[in-house]
Amino acid sequence: MKLRDITIRAGRSLRQAKARTLLTSLAIGVGAFTITLSFAVGAGGRDYASSIISSNTNPQELFVQPKQDAAHDPGKPKKYSDVQTANFGGNFTMKVLKQTDIDKIAQIKNVVSVTPIYSVAMKYIKAPNSDKYTTTVRSYNSAVKLDFVAGGASGIEKNGIILIQNFVEALGFKDANDAIGKTVQIAIDKYNNGTTPLETKLFNFTVTGVVKSSVLAASPINGMQIYTDNLKAMYDYSQQGSSNYGIFMGAVALAKDGVNVDTVKADIAAAGYDPQTAKDLMSFIFQFIDVLQAILVGFGVLAVLTSVFGIINTQYISVLERTQQIGLMKALGMRRRDVGRLFKLEAAWIGFLGGAIGSGLAIIAGTIGNPFISQMLNLGDTKLIVFEPISIISVVVGLVVISVVSGILPARKAARLDPIVALRTE
Amino acid sequence: MIEVKNLVKTYGTKGNLFNAVDGVSFVIPSGTSVAILGKSGSGKSTLMHIMSGLDKPTSGEVLIDGKNLMLLKQKDIDIFRSNKMSFIFQSFFVQAKESCYDNVSLPLEIANVAMSRRRAKIESALAAVDLSDKIKARAKELSGGQKQRLAVARAIVNSPQILFADEPTGNLDSVTGGMVEDLLFGYSKKNKVTLIIVTHDFDLATRCEVQIHLKDGKIDSINGLK
Repeated sequence: MKLRDITIRAGRSLRQAKARTLLTSLAIGVGAFTITLSFAVGAGGRDYASSIISSNTNPQELFVQPKQDAAHDPGKPKKYSDVQTANFGGNFTMKVLKQTDIDKIAQIKNVVSVTPIYSVAMKYIKAPNSDKYTTTVRSYNSAVKLDFVAGGASGIEKNGIILIQNFVEALGFKDANDAIGKTVQIAIDKYNNGTTPLETKLFNFTVTGVVKSSVLAASPINGMQIYTDNLKAMYDYSQQGSSNYGIFMGAVALAKDGVNVDTVKADIAAAGYDPQTAKDLMSFIFQFIDVLQAILVGFGVLAVLTSVFGIINTQYISVLERTQQIGLMKALGMRRRDVGRLFKLEAAWIGFLGGAIGSGLAIIAGTIGNPFISQMLNLGDTKLIVFEPISIISVVVGLVVISVVSGILPARKAARLDPIVALRTE
Repeated sequence: MIEVKNLVKTYGTKGNLFNAVDGVSFVIPSGTSVAILGKSGSGKSTLMHIMSGLDKPTSGEVLIDGKNLMLLKQKDIDIFRSNKMSFIFQSFFVQAKESCYDNVSLPLEIANVAMSRRRAKIESALAAVDLSDKIKARAKELSGGQKQRLAVARAIVNSPQILFADEPTGNLDSVTGGMVEDLLFGYSKKNKVTLIIVTHDFDLATRCEVQIHLKDGKIDSINGLK
C-alpha cells in the first residue's frame, strides 16, 4: 500500500473520531503552547538584550582591568607584593592601573586609544536658575548610536553636553529644542585625602543634544555625556594632590575598526591584563535569559510527556475499536508493515494537530499580549515575545516525532492482530 | 485450479488435541462455484481460512494454479491475496463512517493500483451491484441488503480469480439474500471466477455446481465433481 493512501486513510479515521482526536491533540497542544511561547520569550529577551548592548556600548570597546590575584584564603596571612593597590579597608585590596599601564596598553597592536576610567563624584547638576539634581556623567563615545530627540553631538568637544530627556523640564527648559545651546552647570568637590571637600567648583557646559530616556539605556550606564577631555579636567580638579590621583580601576581600550575585537582581547590578556569586551560584560544577561527559557521549556516538556501517555491510550482504544477493520484489511492482503504504518501515521497526525494548535494559540496569545507587555514595562516599540519560524517548525516536527514514537506500541499491537481472530470479533 | 491435499489442522495442546480439519483432499477447477457445507464446528470456516492463506495448516498442501501456498512467505501470500482473492462476510464488515467510494477503494489501495485507474474500476463495481447512486453516501446510511451489495462491489472491484463468501446471506431476509446470491452467481459465471461459499443453507448450496459436505473435519460427501 502506498504511503500516500495510508496517510489519507489515517487522516480519515481521525476525522471519524473527531472529539477523541481533538482532545488528545489538545493535551499535546498545551505542551506545544508552553514550549513555543518560551522560545519566543527567549528570542525576544535576547533581542532586547542585544539592543540594550548595541545602544549603550561599542562592540570594538574593551574594558581593561589589572589582573587580580587569585582568591586569597582569608584564614592565612597574605604575602606582600610591590604593586600599587587600592585599599578598601580591612584586608581587601585591589590592584589598579597606573599611567605606565595605560601607555603600555596603548602600544598593543590594533589598539587605537586607551582612556582611563575617570571616577569623578558629581555633586549636582543645575541650570543657572533651576534646582539642583544628582546625576552621573560619562564620557561621550562616538561609536555608540544615540537616540537624539533634539540637537546632536556636534560641538561636544567644545564644552558640550548631551542631556537626558527627563532632565529637560527639571532644569527649567520648555522642551528639548529649547534646551539646545543653553548652559548647564555641574558642581565638583575637590578632595585632598580627607573626607570633607576643600572647595567646590562649577563647570559650565553648553547643551548640544538631548537623548531619549528610554529603558533601553539601562540605568547604570544612563547619564549625561561630555567630552573625554572635559571629564579628565574634572577628574584632575577633583583628585589632583590626593593619594588616589593617577591610579585607575580600569581603562577603556578601543580596537581598530574592522579588526576582530577578540584578537585584540587576546593580545591585551597576553600583556598581563584582564580585558573584557562589551559582549563579555553583557553575557550574564544572556545567561539569565537562557536559564529562564530552559525552565519554561522544562514545563512544556513535562506537559508533552504527560500527553504521550494520552496518545498511547487513545491509539490502544482505537486499535480495539477497529479490530474488525484491521482484520478485513489484513484479509484483503494489507501487509503487517502497512497496518503498523497506518496507526503510526494517525499518531503523527495527532502530534501535528497538537503542535499546530498549540503554537498557533501561542502566536495569537503573543501577538495580543505584546503591546500590553511593552506598555507595562515601558519598552516602547520593543517586542518581548518574538516568534522565530525555525523554532515553531522544530516544535511541530519534534512533536510529530514524539507522537510517532508513542504510537509504536499500539501500532505493533494492530500489526500483530491475527485476521481470523479479528474477523471473528463481533 | 485449486488443489487441496490431505489438509490437517490441529488445535489444542498435548493430550487435548482436536482436529478441526482432518485429512481433507479435493480439486476444484477454475470458474466453478463450490459450496462448503456443514454444521457449526464441522471445520468449514477453518478450511476456507487455510485455502485463502489466512491460516496455516498443521500438515497438507494447498496449491492454487500449481503454486503451493505453504511455501510462500507471508509477504508473498499477502500480495497473492490482494491480487487474486476476495472475501464476503456474513456481517458485511463495511466501514460505516466511510463513503461507498472509499469502502470499495480499499482493495485497490492495498493492491497498489494507480490512482488514475481506480475511479473507473470503483464506478463499474458499484454499477454491477446497482449502487451507482450511492457512491458518495456513507455506508451506515445503507440498508442491510445494500451493505452486502457494497461488500460484493468491494470484493469484485479488483477482478479477483477466487471469491470466498462466508455465509453471505446469513444476515439477510430471503428477498435481499436472493438478490445477493444472483449477483454472486451471475458475476462468477460471467467472469469465470471461482466462487467458494461456506454455508449451512441447503438452498444456497444447491445453486452451486459442487457441494462439499464436511462432518467433524472430514469430508462426508462431494456432489457435482466429475
